[in-house]
Amino acid sequence: MADGAHHHPTPKQYVSVALVLAVLTALEVALFYLESGVEAVTQTITVPALLILSALKFYLVVAMFMHLRYERRLLSRFFTSGAILAGALYLITLSALGAVALF
Amino acid sequence: MTDLASAPPLAEPDPDPAPGGGDGHGAPDGHGDDHGGGHHAMTGIDNRKLGMWAFLSSEFLFFGALITNYLLFKGRDFGPDALYPVELYDIPFTSISSFVLLMSSLTMVLAHSALSRDDQAQTRTWLFATAALGMVFVAGQFFEFTEFILEGLKLNVNPAASAFYMLTGFHGVHVVIGVLMLLILGGKSLRQGRLSEREGFNVELVGLYWHFVDIIWIVIFVLIYLIQ
Repeated sequence: MADGAHHHPTPKQYVSVALVLAVLTALEVALFYLESGVEAVTQTITVPALLILSALKFYLVVAMFMHLRYERRLLSRFFTSGAILAGALYLITLSALGAVALF
Repeated sequence: MTDLASAPPLAEPDPDPAPGGGDGHGAPDGHGDDHGGGHHAMTGIDNRKLGMWAFLSSEFLFFGALITNYLLFKGRDFGPDALYPVELYDIPFTSISSFVLLMSSLTMVLAHSALSRDDQAQTRTWLFATAALGMVFVAGQFFEFTEFILEGLKLNVNPAASAFYMLTGFHGVHVVIGVLMLLILGGKSLRQGRLSEREGFNVELVGLYWHFVDIIWIVIFVLIYLIQ
């Protein structure tokens, strides 16, 4: 068991997190169809919203299911810095090759 | 210039470290939970767990490269007759697959939770449930690939198609590896009646791997499928 396992959520709390994840997924899919079907809903609205929703889901899984919230800070720093560095590296690559406009 | 001769000597390893003082063999903070023979590093974290987190962090680079590769070719024009993955996406189907994988993270964490209560029967049930959901996801991906190939989107028709298959295919391979690890653990539990402490710790490690595969899909689902 993880260090500090006594702090881990209960099965009921895990189910609640899963329900939130399911709702967030449903919202993502709804946004996709709104963009396809409603003229007023453009990519300037849906793209940031989808990115925020997926970041929320990402956080919930990592923090609650992977217990990073309850682990030593070293692990969360280790993991977060890896994710941020990789993200930044590929964002710069995409920008340099013209696939994403950063500025 | 600094006088090197007068500089303080570099720290040397303590030949007789104090018990629990972070010598690499015990929990320095007195936790003392060594997970069935695992060694704690000076950080107080089990070396195997630290290794798994290091591996998962490095996987960001692996999947980051594959996602970047796809995004680079996604908007390119490969001729008037070219077929693109985006034209063939079945969003309702992929949404259900995503939901299945997301729920497999729940069953995985419930397996870990049951094990922490020493409920071996529930642990086994949730391990097999996670493996089953993983297999459903892989079957869905196999179905999707088959449909795409029948529509003419073969691996080598254009770089966008290759990038799509490489990304989702490698993710699928990760899921298959996860399913195999889950089946091995579930099988051991079934054969032995209970998982040993060491095998129990492996449940936690496999769980970390499984959740990581899930978060990668969370990113793929939005960046590749929903943002078109």
